[in-house]
Amino acid sequence: MIAEELIIDRGVSAGDEWITVAAEHVRDALAGLRADGYLLLTFLTCVDHLADSSRQWPARFEIVYQVRNLETREQLRVRAFVDGDPPRIDSVHDIFPPANWDERETYDLFGVVFNDHPNLTRILMPDDWVGHPLRRDYPVGGETVEFSEEHERWQTAPDKA
Amino acid sequence: MNTPQGVTIAKTGEKSAFGGEILTVNFGPHHPSTHGVLRLIVDLDGEQIRGIKPVIGYLHTGIEKQMEALRWQQGVVVTDRHDYLSPPINNLAYALAVEKLMGVEVPPRAQALRVIMSELTRLSSHLVWMGTSGLELGAMSMLMYCFRERDTILDMNEEISGFRMHTSYIRPGGVFADATPRFLEMLDTFIRAMPAHVDEYEDLLTMNPIWRARTIGIGRLSPDDAKVLGASGPMIRGSGIAWDLRKTMPYSGYENYEFEVATSNDCDCYGRYLVRVKEMREAVKILRQALDRLPDGPVNVDDRKMLPPPREELETSMEAVIHHFKLFTEGYSVPAGDVYVAVESGRGENGCYIVSDGTHKPRRVKFRSASFVNLQALERMSLNHMVADMIAIIGTADAVLGDVDR
Repeated sequence: MIAEELIIDRGVSAGDEWITVAAEHVRDALAGLRADGYLLLTFLTCVDHLADSSRQWPARFEIVYQVRNLETREQLRVRAFVDGDPPRIDSVHDIFPPANWDERETYDLFGVVFNDHPNLTRILMPDDWVGHPLRRDYPVGGETVEFSEEHERWQTAPDKA
Repeated sequence: MNTPQGVTIAKTGEKSAFGGEILTVNFGPHHPSTHGVLRLIVDLDGEQIRGIKPVIGYLHTGIEKQMEALRWQQGVVVTDRHDYLSPPINNLAYALAVEKLMGVEVPPRAQALRVIMSELTRLSSHLVWMGTSGLELGAMSMLMYCFRERDTILDMNEEISGFRMHTSYIRPGGVFADATPRFLEMLDTFIRAMPAHVDEYEDLLTMNPIWRARTIGIGRLSPDDAKVLGASGPMIRGSGIAWDLRKTMPYSGYENYEFEVATSNDCDCYGRYLVRVKEMREAVKILRQALDRLPDGPVNVDDRKMLPPPREELETSMEAVIHHFKLFTEGYSVPAGDVYVAVESGRGENGCYIVSDGTHKPRRVKFRSASFVNLQALERMSLNHMVADMIAIIGTADAVLGDVDR
Protein backbone atom coordinates (compact mmCIF):
# COMPACT_ATOMS: atom_id res chain seq x y z
CA MET A 1 0.00 0.00 0.00
CA ILE A 2 1.46 3.32 -0.98
CA ALA A 3 1.29 5.78 1.90
CA GLU A 4 -0.73 8.86 1.04
CA GLU A 5 1.84 11.21 2.57
CA LEU A 6 4.49 10.08 0.06
CA ILE A 7 2.48 11.56 -2.80
CA ILE A 8 3.40 15.18 -3.40
CA ASP A 9 1.27 15.73 -6.46
CA ARG A 10 -1.03 13.74 -8.69
CA GLY A 11 -2.86 14.22 -11.95
CA VAL A 12 -3.83 12.87 -15.32
CA SER A 13 -1.91 13.59 -18.50
CA ALA A 14 -3.70 12.69 -21.77
CA GLY A 15 -5.53 9.91 -19.94
CA ASP A 16 -2.48 8.53 -18.11
CA GLU A 17 -2.56 8.72 -14.34
CA TRP A 18 0.55 9.95 -12.59
CA ILE A 19 1.86 10.74 -9.14
CA THR A 20 4.92 12.61 -8.00
CA VAL A 21 6.98 11.44 -5.04
CA ALA A 22 10.05 12.89 -3.42
CA ALA A 23 13.25 11.41 -4.82
CA GLU A 24 14.34 10.09 -1.42
CA HIS A 25 11.07 8.16 -1.03
CA VAL A 26 11.03 6.58 -4.46
CA ARG A 27 11.92 3.13 -3.14
CA ASP A 28 9.16 3.24 -0.53
CA ALA A 29 6.64 4.33 -3.12
CA LEU A 30 7.58 1.70 -5.67
CA ALA A 31 7.78 -1.09 -3.09
CA GLY A 32 4.30 -0.06 -1.95
CA LEU A 33 3.02 -0.14 -5.51
CA ARG A 34 4.53 -3.54 -6.11
CA ALA A 35 2.82 -4.84 -2.98
CA ASP A 36 -0.39 -3.37 -4.39
CA GLY A 37 -0.12 -5.60 -7.42
CA TYR A 38 1.76 -3.37 -9.83
CA LEU A 39 4.09 -6.21 -10.72
CA LEU A 40 5.54 -4.90 -13.93
CA LEU A 41 7.82 -1.94 -14.42
CA THR A 42 7.13 -1.19 -18.06
CA PHE A 43 9.99 1.23 -18.39
CA LEU A 44 12.10 3.68 -16.48
CA THR A 45 13.57 6.74 -18.05
CA CYS A 46 14.59 10.31 -17.50
CA VAL A 47 13.47 13.63 -18.95
CA ASP A 48 15.79 16.61 -19.00
CA HIS A 49 13.83 19.81 -18.34
CA LEU A 50 16.69 22.18 -19.05
CA ALA A 51 15.26 25.49 -20.29
CA ASP A 52 11.76 24.07 -20.49
CA SER A 53 9.40 27.01 -20.07
CA SER A 54 6.16 25.04 -20.43
CA ARG A 55 5.80 25.11 -16.64
CA GLN A 56 7.77 25.51 -13.41
CA TRP A 57 9.83 22.36 -12.85
CA PRO A 58 11.02 21.46 -9.34
CA ALA A 59 14.35 20.22 -10.69
CA ARG A 60 16.15 19.67 -13.96
CA PHE A 61 15.89 15.89 -14.20
CA GLU A 62 12.64 14.00 -13.94
CA ILE A 63 12.89 10.25 -13.41
CA VAL A 64 9.82 8.49 -14.75
CA TYR A 65 8.68 5.02 -13.70
CA GLN A 66 5.76 3.45 -15.52
CA VAL A 67 4.23 0.56 -13.58
CA ARG A 68 1.42 -1.74 -14.57
CA ASN A 69 -0.92 -4.09 -12.78
CA LEU A 70 -1.27 -7.16 -14.98
CA GLU A 71 -4.53 -8.24 -13.33
CA THR A 72 -6.53 -5.01 -13.35
CA ARG A 73 -4.59 -3.55 -16.32
CA GLU A 74 -4.18 -0.27 -14.49
CA GLN A 75 -1.14 1.81 -15.24
CA LEU A 76 0.49 4.45 -13.13
CA ARG A 77 3.36 6.79 -13.79
CA VAL A 78 5.59 7.73 -10.88
CA ARG A 79 7.71 10.84 -11.18
CA ALA A 80 10.61 11.93 -9.05
CA PHE A 81 12.65 15.07 -9.57
CA VAL A 82 16.37 15.18 -8.95
CA ASP A 83 19.02 17.83 -9.27
CA GLY A 84 22.69 17.98 -8.53
CA ASP A 85 25.90 17.05 -10.28
CA PRO A 86 25.69 14.18 -10.77
CA PRO A 87 21.99 13.78 -9.98
CA ARG A 88 21.46 10.86 -7.61
CA ILE A 89 18.52 8.62 -6.86
CA ASP A 90 18.13 5.20 -5.27
CA SER A 91 18.16 2.16 -7.50
CA VAL A 92 15.02 0.01 -7.66
CA HIS A 93 16.59 -2.98 -9.43
CA ASP A 94 15.78 -5.31 -6.52
CA ILE A 95 12.11 -4.28 -6.50
CA PHE A 96 11.68 -4.48 -10.27
CA PRO A 97 14.31 -6.61 -12.06
CA PRO A 98 13.79 -4.98 -15.50
CA ALA A 99 14.99 -1.73 -13.93
CA ASN A 100 18.54 -3.08 -13.99
CA TRP A 101 19.25 -2.32 -17.63
CA ASP A 102 16.93 0.69 -17.73
CA GLU A 103 18.91 2.31 -14.94
CA ARG A 104 22.18 1.58 -16.72
CA GLU A 105 20.74 3.16 -19.84
CA THR A 106 19.56 6.22 -17.92
CA TYR A 107 22.98 6.54 -16.32
CA ASP A 108 24.65 6.18 -19.70
CA LEU A 109 22.52 8.69 -21.56
CA PHE A 110 21.65 11.20 -18.81
CA GLY A 111 24.36 10.75 -16.20
CA VAL A 112 21.88 10.04 -13.41
CA VAL A 113 23.62 7.94 -10.75
CA PHE A 114 21.53 5.18 -9.20
CA ASN A 115 22.71 4.46 -5.66
CA ASP A 116 23.40 0.79 -4.87
CA HIS A 117 23.06 -0.38 -8.44
CA PRO A 118 25.08 -3.64 -8.81
CA ASN A 119 26.75 -2.75 -12.11
CA LEU A 120 26.29 0.88 -13.04
CA THR A 121 28.29 1.03 -16.27
CA ARG A 122 27.61 2.36 -19.70
CA ILE A 123 25.36 0.09 -21.69
CA LEU A 124 24.76 1.66 -25.11
CA MET A 125 27.68 4.04 -25.53
CA PRO A 126 31.30 2.81 -25.54
CA ASP A 127 32.90 2.49 -22.11
CA ASP A 128 35.31 5.36 -22.74
CA TRP A 129 32.68 7.81 -23.97
CA VAL A 130 32.76 11.29 -22.49
CA GLY A 131 29.47 12.99 -21.67
CA HIS A 132 25.86 11.91 -21.57
CA PRO A 133 24.26 12.26 -25.00
CA LEU A 134 20.58 12.63 -24.13
CA ARG A 135 21.12 15.66 -21.94
CA ARG A 136 19.68 18.71 -23.61
CA ASP A 137 22.98 20.59 -23.45
CA TYR A 138 24.80 17.82 -25.32
CA PRO A 139 24.95 19.06 -28.90
CA VAL A 140 23.46 17.12 -31.79
CA GLY A 141 26.27 16.31 -34.18
CA GLY A 142 28.72 17.38 -31.52
CA GLU A 143 30.63 14.14 -31.32
CA THR A 144 33.98 14.03 -33.02
CA VAL A 145 34.44 11.62 -35.86
CA GLU A 146 36.36 8.56 -34.81
CA PHE A 147 39.75 7.89 -36.41
CA SER A 148 40.19 11.52 -37.35
CA GLU A 149 43.37 13.48 -36.76
CA GLU A 150 41.98 14.82 -33.52
CA HIS A 151 41.70 11.28 -32.23
CA GLU A 152 44.27 11.72 -29.46
CA ARG A 153 42.67 14.86 -28.14
CA TRP A 154 39.14 13.68 -27.56
CA GLN A 155 39.60 10.07 -26.64
CA THR A 156 40.09 10.37 -22.94
CA ALA A 157 38.42 8.26 -20.34
CA PRO A 158 35.74 9.96 -18.24
CA ASP A 159 36.57 10.73 -14.63
CA LYS A 160 34.15 8.14 -13.37
CA ALA A 161 33.12 5.26 -15.57
CA MET B 1 32.97 -3.82 -12.41
CA ASN B 2 33.69 -2.76 -15.94
CA THR B 3 32.94 -4.98 -18.88
CA PRO B 4 36.11 -6.76 -19.84
CA GLN B 5 37.38 -5.07 -22.96
CA GLY B 6 38.74 -7.17 -25.75
CA VAL B 7 38.56 -10.38 -23.77
CA THR B 8 38.49 -13.39 -26.03
CA ILE B 9 39.29 -16.19 -23.68
CA ALA B 10 40.30 -16.19 -20.05
CA LYS B 11 40.78 -18.77 -17.35
CA THR B 12 39.43 -17.63 -14.01
CA GLY B 13 41.09 -20.44 -12.12
CA GLU B 14 37.79 -21.44 -10.56
CA LYS B 15 37.28 -25.20 -10.32
CA SER B 16 34.41 -26.53 -12.33
CA ALA B 17 32.18 -29.53 -11.72
CA PHE B 18 33.98 -31.61 -14.32
CA GLY B 19 37.41 -31.09 -12.83
CA GLY B 20 38.45 -28.47 -15.32
CA GLU B 21 38.30 -24.73 -14.96
CA ILE B 22 35.60 -22.22 -15.79
CA LEU B 23 36.42 -20.57 -19.08
CA THR B 24 35.24 -17.11 -20.00
CA VAL B 25 34.66 -16.99 -23.72
CA ASN B 26 33.67 -14.14 -25.93
CA PHE B 27 30.75 -14.81 -28.27
CA GLY B 28 30.01 -12.35 -31.04
CA PRO B 29 29.39 -9.51 -31.72
CA HIS B 30 29.73 -10.51 -35.35
CA HIS B 31 28.29 -13.97 -35.09
CA PRO B 32 25.67 -14.99 -37.63
CA SER B 33 23.33 -16.38 -35.01
CA THR B 34 23.16 -13.24 -32.90
CA HIS B 35 20.61 -11.58 -35.23
CA GLY B 36 22.58 -8.41 -35.56
CA VAL B 37 25.52 -7.54 -33.38
CA LEU B 38 25.08 -8.96 -29.93
CA ARG B 39 28.11 -9.76 -27.85
CA LEU B 40 27.91 -12.27 -25.04
CA ILE B 41 30.55 -12.97 -22.47
CA VAL B 42 29.91 -16.55 -21.52
CA ASP B 43 31.32 -18.48 -18.55
CA LEU B 44 31.71 -22.07 -19.59
CA ASP B 45 32.15 -25.20 -17.57
CA GLY B 46 33.09 -27.69 -20.23
CA GLU B 47 30.32 -26.98 -22.66
CA GLN B 48 27.78 -25.92 -20.06
CA ILE B 49 26.88 -22.31 -19.53
CA ARG B 50 27.42 -21.00 -16.01
CA GLY B 51 26.90 -17.33 -16.73
CA ILE B 52 26.06 -15.00 -19.57
CA LYS B 53 26.67 -11.30 -19.74
CA PRO B 54 25.17 -9.63 -22.80
CA VAL B 55 27.08 -6.61 -24.06
CA ILE B 56 24.91 -4.40 -26.22
CA GLY B 57 25.18 -1.04 -27.87
CA TYR B 58 26.89 -1.99 -31.12
CA LEU B 59 23.88 -0.77 -33.10
CA HIS B 60 23.20 2.32 -31.02
CA THR B 61 22.24 5.04 -33.46
CA GLY B 62 20.95 7.68 -31.07
CA ILE B 63 17.40 7.49 -32.37
CA GLU B 64 15.96 9.12 -29.27
CA LYS B 65 18.37 12.03 -29.62
CA GLN B 66 17.54 12.40 -33.30
CA MET B 67 13.84 12.56 -32.50
CA GLU B 68 14.44 15.64 -30.35
CA ALA B 69 15.94 17.45 -33.31
CA LEU B 70 13.12 16.58 -35.71
CA ARG B 71 9.66 18.08 -35.95
CA TRP B 72 6.69 15.97 -34.93
CA GLN B 73 5.79 14.86 -38.44
CA GLN B 74 9.42 14.19 -39.37
CA GLY B 75 10.00 11.83 -36.46
CA VAL B 76 8.00 9.07 -38.15
CA VAL B 77 10.86 8.38 -40.53
CA VAL B 78 13.19 7.65 -37.64
CA THR B 79 10.76 5.34 -35.85
CA ASP B 80 10.90 3.00 -38.86
CA ARG B 81 14.49 2.29 -38.22
CA HIS B 82 14.92 1.01 -34.69
CA ASP B 83 13.04 -2.26 -34.98
CA TYR B 84 13.82 -2.74 -38.64
CA LEU B 85 11.71 -5.87 -38.97
CA SER B 86 8.45 -4.17 -38.03
CA PRO B 87 8.49 -0.54 -39.19
CA PRO B 88 4.70 0.04 -39.47
CA ILE B 89 4.17 -1.13 -35.89
CA ASN B 90 6.79 1.33 -34.65
CA ASN B 91 5.10 4.05 -36.69
CA LEU B 92 1.81 3.10 -35.08
CA ALA B 93 3.14 3.43 -31.52
CA TYR B 94 4.52 6.88 -32.28
CA ALA B 95 1.46 8.03 -34.22
CA LEU B 96 -0.93 6.88 -31.48
CA ALA B 97 1.13 8.67 -28.84
CA VAL B 98 1.17 11.96 -30.74
CA GLU B 99 -2.53 11.66 -31.50
CA LYS B 100 -3.38 10.91 -27.89
CA LEU B 101 -1.50 13.98 -26.74
CA MET B 102 -3.26 16.14 -29.34
CA GLY B 103 -6.65 14.55 -28.68
CA VAL B 104 -7.07 13.49 -32.29
CA GLU B 105 -9.06 10.47 -33.44
CA VAL B 106 -8.31 9.06 -36.89
CA PRO B 107 -11.16 8.00 -39.23
CA PRO B 108 -12.30 4.33 -39.26
CA ARG B 109 -10.73 3.56 -42.62
CA ALA B 110 -7.35 4.73 -41.40
CA GLN B 111 -7.73 2.55 -38.29
CA ALA B 112 -8.53 -0.49 -40.41
CA LEU B 113 -5.59 0.18 -42.72
CA ARG B 114 -3.37 0.50 -39.68
CA VAL B 115 -4.55 -2.88 -38.46
CA ILE B 116 -3.90 -4.40 -41.89
CA MET B 117 -0.38 -3.02 -42.00
CA SER B 118 0.30 -4.11 -38.41
CA GLU B 119 -0.76 -7.67 -39.09
CA LEU B 120 1.17 -7.86 -42.36
CA THR B 121 4.20 -6.64 -40.45
CA ARG B 122 3.68 -9.18 -37.71
CA LEU B 123 3.56 -11.89 -40.36
CA SER B 124 6.70 -10.69 -42.10
CA SER B 125 8.52 -10.33 -38.79
CA HIS B 126 7.57 -13.86 -37.73
CA LEU B 127 8.58 -15.15 -41.15
CA VAL B 128 12.04 -13.68 -40.79
CA TRP B 129 12.24 -15.15 -37.32
CA MET B 130 11.16 -18.59 -38.49
CA GLY B 131 13.43 -18.60 -41.50
CA THR B 132 16.54 -17.57 -39.62
CA SER B 133 15.83 -19.77 -36.61
CA GLY B 134 15.32 -22.72 -38.92
CA LEU B 135 18.59 -21.91 -40.59
CA GLU B 136 20.40 -21.86 -37.27
CA LEU B 137 18.89 -25.06 -35.95
CA GLY B 138 19.44 -27.28 -38.95
CA ALA B 139 16.34 -26.69 -41.08
CA MET B 140 18.06 -24.92 -43.94
CA SER B 141 15.15 -24.87 -46.36
CA MET B 142 12.97 -22.85 -43.97
CA LEU B 143 14.64 -19.63 -45.05
CA MET B 144 13.66 -20.13 -48.68
CA TYR B 145 10.03 -20.84 -47.87
CA CYS B 146 9.66 -18.03 -45.36
CA PHE B 147 11.38 -15.38 -47.44
CA ARG B 148 9.17 -16.28 -50.40
CA GLU B 149 6.07 -15.12 -48.50
CA ARG B 150 7.90 -12.25 -46.89
CA ASP B 151 8.72 -10.96 -50.32
CA THR B 152 5.03 -10.90 -51.18
CA ILE B 153 4.46 -8.78 -48.09
CA LEU B 154 7.28 -6.44 -49.07
CA ASP B 155 5.70 -6.13 -52.52
CA MET B 156 2.49 -5.09 -50.82
CA ASN B 157 4.39 -2.54 -48.71
CA GLU B 158 5.79 -1.14 -51.91
CA GLU B 159 2.38 -0.97 -53.52
CA ILE B 160 0.77 0.88 -50.63
CA SER B 161 3.58 3.16 -49.49
CA GLY B 162 6.27 3.17 -52.15
CA PHE B 163 8.82 1.55 -49.86
CA ARG B 164 9.55 -2.09 -49.30
CA MET B 165 10.91 -1.98 -45.77
CA HIS B 166 10.93 1.42 -44.10
CA THR B 167 7.44 2.36 -45.08
CA SER B 168 6.67 5.39 -42.84
CA TYR B 169 3.13 4.53 -43.86
CA ILE B 170 1.37 5.20 -40.56
CA ARG B 171 1.84 8.75 -39.41
CA PRO B 172 0.21 11.08 -36.86
CA GLY B 173 -3.20 12.01 -38.20
CA GLY B 174 -3.79 8.96 -40.36
CA VAL B 175 -1.86 7.10 -43.01
CA PHE B 176 0.30 8.21 -45.91
CA ALA B 177 -2.14 7.28 -48.70
CA ASP B 178 -5.27 5.29 -49.26
CA ALA B 179 -4.92 1.65 -50.28
CA THR B 180 -4.86 1.20 -54.01
CA PRO B 181 -7.27 -1.33 -55.64
CA ARG B 182 -4.22 -3.36 -56.64
CA PHE B 183 -3.09 -3.52 -53.01
CA LEU B 184 -6.48 -4.85 -51.92
CA GLU B 185 -6.32 -7.42 -54.70
CA MET B 186 -2.83 -8.50 -53.67
CA LEU B 187 -3.94 -8.69 -50.06
CA ASP B 188 -6.91 -10.87 -50.97
CA THR B 189 -4.69 -13.28 -52.91
CA PHE B 190 -2.22 -13.34 -50.06
CA ILE B 191 -4.88 -14.10 -47.44
CA ARG B 192 -6.18 -16.98 -49.55
CA ALA B 193 -2.73 -18.47 -50.01
CA MET B 194 -1.23 -17.90 -46.58
CA PRO B 195 -2.96 -20.60 -44.47
CA ALA B 196 -1.64 -23.28 -46.82
CA HIS B 197 1.84 -21.79 -46.52
CA VAL B 198 1.66 -21.88 -42.73
CA ASP B 199 0.71 -25.56 -43.02
CA GLU B 200 3.79 -25.98 -45.16
CA TYR B 201 6.03 -24.46 -42.49
CA GLU B 202 4.44 -26.68 -39.89
CA ASP B 203 5.04 -29.72 -42.07
CA LEU B 204 8.68 -28.80 -42.15
CA LEU B 205 9.16 -27.99 -38.48
CA THR B 206 6.48 -29.06 -36.01
CA MET B 207 7.21 -32.78 -36.09
CA ASN B 208 10.75 -32.45 -37.41
CA PRO B 209 12.89 -34.60 -35.07
CA ILE B 210 15.93 -32.29 -35.28
CA TRP B 211 13.85 -29.18 -34.63
CA ARG B 212 12.08 -30.85 -31.71
CA ALA B 213 15.31 -32.14 -30.20
CA ARG B 214 16.83 -28.69 -30.36
CA THR B 215 13.88 -26.78 -28.92
CA ILE B 216 11.84 -28.96 -26.54
CA GLY B 217 12.87 -28.41 -22.95
CA ILE B 218 15.42 -25.79 -23.97
CA GLY B 219 15.38 -22.28 -22.51
CA ARG B 220 12.71 -22.70 -19.88
CA LEU B 221 11.14 -19.53 -18.58
CA SER B 222 8.59 -20.09 -15.85
CA PRO B 223 5.42 -17.95 -15.90
CA ASP B 224 6.45 -16.20 -12.69
CA ASP B 225 9.90 -15.39 -14.05
CA ALA B 226 8.39 -14.12 -17.28
CA LYS B 227 6.13 -11.74 -15.35
CA VAL B 228 8.81 -10.50 -13.01
CA LEU B 229 11.39 -10.01 -15.76
CA GLY B 230 8.91 -7.96 -17.75
CA ALA B 231 8.95 -10.28 -20.74
CA SER B 232 6.31 -9.58 -23.36
CA GLY B 233 5.07 -10.90 -26.66
CA PRO B 234 5.71 -14.54 -27.58
CA MET B 235 8.12 -14.75 -24.64
CA ILE B 236 5.37 -14.30 -22.04
CA ARG B 237 2.70 -16.10 -24.07
CA GLY B 238 5.08 -19.01 -24.61
CA SER B 239 5.13 -19.23 -20.82
CA GLY B 240 1.39 -19.66 -20.67
CA ILE B 241 0.28 -16.13 -19.79
CA ALA B 242 -2.35 -14.76 -22.15
CA TRP B 243 -1.05 -11.21 -22.22
CA ASP B 244 -1.51 -9.60 -25.60
CA LEU B 245 -1.92 -5.84 -25.76
CA ARG B 246 -4.27 -6.22 -28.71
CA LYS B 247 -6.70 -7.96 -26.35
CA THR B 248 -5.80 -6.63 -22.93
CA MET B 249 -5.40 -2.95 -23.78
CA PRO B 250 -6.84 -2.63 -27.30
CA TYR B 251 -5.79 0.18 -29.61
CA SER B 252 -6.64 1.21 -33.17
CA GLY B 253 -9.91 -0.73 -33.11
CA TYR B 254 -8.47 -4.17 -32.32
CA GLU B 255 -11.42 -4.77 -29.99
CA ASN B 256 -13.63 -5.15 -33.09
CA TYR B 257 -11.75 -8.14 -34.48
CA GLU B 258 -12.20 -11.72 -33.46
CA PHE B 259 -9.02 -13.59 -32.80
CA GLU B 260 -7.50 -15.80 -30.16
CA VAL B 261 -4.47 -15.02 -28.08
CA ALA B 262 -1.91 -17.70 -28.84
CA THR B 263 -0.42 -19.24 -25.72
CA SER B 264 1.57 -22.33 -24.92
CA ASN B 265 2.21 -23.93 -21.56
CA ASP B 266 5.49 -25.48 -22.69
CA CYS B 267 7.51 -22.50 -21.37
CA ASP B 268 10.40 -23.46 -23.66
CA CYS B 269 11.74 -22.64 -27.12
CA TYR B 270 9.27 -25.04 -28.73
CA GLY B 271 6.40 -23.32 -26.93
CA ARG B 272 7.49 -19.96 -28.29
CA TYR B 273 7.65 -21.48 -31.75
CA LEU B 274 4.09 -22.80 -31.41
CA VAL B 275 2.91 -19.39 -30.23
CA ARG B 276 4.38 -17.70 -33.29
CA VAL B 277 2.86 -20.21 -35.68
CA LYS B 278 -0.54 -19.72 -34.06
CA GLU B 279 -0.09 -15.96 -34.21
CA MET B 280 0.54 -16.17 -37.92
CA ARG B 281 -2.74 -18.03 -38.39
CA GLU B 282 -4.56 -15.48 -36.21
CA ALA B 283 -2.98 -12.61 -38.14
CA VAL B 284 -4.42 -14.03 -41.36
CA LYS B 285 -7.83 -14.19 -39.67
CA ILE B 286 -7.58 -10.55 -38.61
CA LEU B 287 -6.50 -9.56 -42.11
CA ARG B 288 -9.52 -11.32 -43.60
CA GLN B 289 -11.91 -9.51 -41.24
CA ALA B 290 -10.22 -6.18 -41.82
CA LEU B 291 -10.34 -6.56 -45.58
CA ASP B 292 -13.98 -7.69 -45.65
CA ARG B 293 -15.13 -4.90 -43.36
CA LEU B 294 -12.83 -2.16 -44.64
CA PRO B 295 -14.93 0.98 -44.20
CA ASP B 296 -15.09 3.72 -46.81
CA GLY B 297 -14.15 7.28 -46.12
CA PRO B 298 -11.12 9.46 -45.60
CA VAL B 299 -7.80 8.03 -44.37
CA ASN B 300 -6.61 11.20 -42.66
CA VAL B 301 -7.99 13.57 -40.09
CA ASP B 302 -9.51 16.67 -41.61
CA ASP B 303 -7.15 19.10 -39.95
CA ARG B 304 -5.12 21.42 -42.13
CA LYS B 305 -3.00 22.45 -39.13
CA MET B 306 -1.71 18.89 -38.81
CA LEU B 307 -1.58 17.41 -42.30
CA PRO B 308 -0.78 19.08 -45.60
CA PRO B 309 -3.67 19.94 -47.94
CA PRO B 310 -4.20 17.76 -51.02
CA ARG B 311 -2.10 18.70 -54.02
CA GLU B 312 -5.01 19.93 -56.15
CA GLU B 313 -6.12 22.43 -53.48
CA LEU B 314 -2.77 24.17 -53.66
CA GLU B 315 -3.59 25.47 -57.10
CA THR B 316 -6.93 27.01 -56.18
CA SER B 317 -6.82 28.03 -52.53
CA MET B 318 -4.57 30.65 -50.96
CA GLU B 319 -5.33 29.25 -47.53
CA ALA B 320 -4.09 25.84 -48.59
CA VAL B 321 -0.80 27.40 -49.72
CA ILE B 322 -0.41 29.11 -46.35
CA HIS B 323 -1.15 25.90 -44.46
CA HIS B 324 1.27 24.01 -46.65
CA PHE B 325 3.98 26.59 -46.10
CA LYS B 326 3.47 26.74 -42.34
CA LEU B 327 3.50 22.96 -42.03
CA PHE B 328 6.70 22.47 -43.93
CA THR B 329 8.62 25.38 -42.48
CA GLU B 330 7.49 25.22 -38.88
CA GLY B 331 5.44 22.06 -38.36
CA TYR B 332 2.70 21.84 -35.81
CA SER B 333 3.00 22.01 -32.06
CA VAL B 334 1.67 19.45 -29.63
CA PRO B 335 0.17 20.52 -26.28
CA ALA B 336 2.55 20.23 -23.33
CA GLY B 337 2.29 16.98 -21.42
CA ASP B 338 3.42 13.40 -21.60
CA VAL B 339 1.84 10.18 -22.71
CA TYR B 340 2.75 6.51 -22.97
CA VAL B 341 1.22 4.28 -25.63
CA ALA B 342 2.06 0.62 -26.07
CA VAL B 343 1.32 -1.58 -29.06
CA GLU B 344 1.94 -5.27 -29.62
CA SER B 345 4.70 -5.86 -32.13
CA GLY B 346 5.95 -9.23 -33.30
CA ARG B 347 8.36 -9.22 -30.39
CA GLY B 348 6.16 -7.89 -27.64
CA GLU B 349 5.29 -4.61 -26.07
CA ASN B 350 6.57 -1.82 -28.24
CA GLY B 351 5.86 1.41 -26.42
CA CYS B 352 6.41 5.04 -27.08
CA TYR B 353 6.70 7.59 -24.26
CA ILE B 354 6.50 11.15 -25.47
CA VAL B 355 7.06 14.36 -23.57
CA SER B 356 6.05 17.59 -25.21
CA ASP B 357 6.91 21.07 -23.98
CA GLY B 358 4.34 22.65 -26.28
CA THR B 359 6.75 23.38 -29.13
CA HIS B 360 7.00 21.94 -32.62
CA LYS B 361 9.65 19.41 -31.61
CA PRO B 362 9.41 16.70 -28.95
CA ARG B 363 11.20 17.30 -25.65
CA ARG B 364 11.80 13.59 -25.13
CA VAL B 365 10.83 10.45 -27.00
CA LYS B 366 11.52 7.14 -25.32
CA PHE B 367 10.98 3.86 -27.08
CA ARG B 368 10.20 0.99 -24.77
CA SER B 369 11.43 -1.85 -26.88
CA ALA B 370 10.41 -5.42 -26.26
CA SER B 371 13.77 -6.80 -27.37
CA PHE B 372 15.67 -4.74 -24.80
CA VAL B 373 13.62 -6.12 -21.94
CA ASN B 374 13.33 -9.68 -23.30
CA LEU B 375 17.09 -9.90 -23.69
CA GLN B 376 17.48 -9.47 -19.94
CA ALA B 377 15.82 -12.86 -19.50
CA LEU B 378 18.56 -14.49 -21.58
CA GLU B 379 20.73 -15.35 -18.61
CA ARG B 380 17.82 -16.88 -16.69
CA MET B 381 16.88 -19.02 -19.70
CA SER B 382 20.26 -20.33 -20.73
CA LEU B 383 21.93 -21.24 -17.42
CA ASN B 384 23.17 -24.84 -17.39
CA HIS B 385 22.41 -25.34 -21.06
CA MET B 386 24.95 -26.24 -23.73
CA VAL B 387 26.51 -23.60 -25.93
CA ALA B 388 24.58 -24.89 -28.93
CA ASP B 389 21.30 -24.48 -27.03
CA MET B 390 22.13 -20.84 -26.48
CA ILE B 391 21.69 -20.35 -30.23
CA ALA B 392 18.15 -21.71 -29.99
CA ILE B 393 17.46 -19.51 -26.98
CA ILE B 394 18.74 -16.31 -28.60
CA GLY B 395 16.77 -17.28 -31.68
CA THR B 396 13.45 -17.75 -29.93
CA ALA B 397 13.94 -14.66 -27.78
CA ASP B 398 13.84 -12.93 -31.19
CA ALA B 399 15.70 -9.82 -30.17
CA VAL B 400 16.26 -7.36 -32.98
CA LEU B 401 19.46 -5.62 -32.07
CA GLY B 402 18.49 -2.37 -33.71
CA ASP B 403 15.55 -2.33 -31.35
CA VAL B 404 17.68 -3.22 -28.35
CA ASP B 405 20.22 -0.46 -28.94
CA ARG B 406 17.96 2.10 -30.60
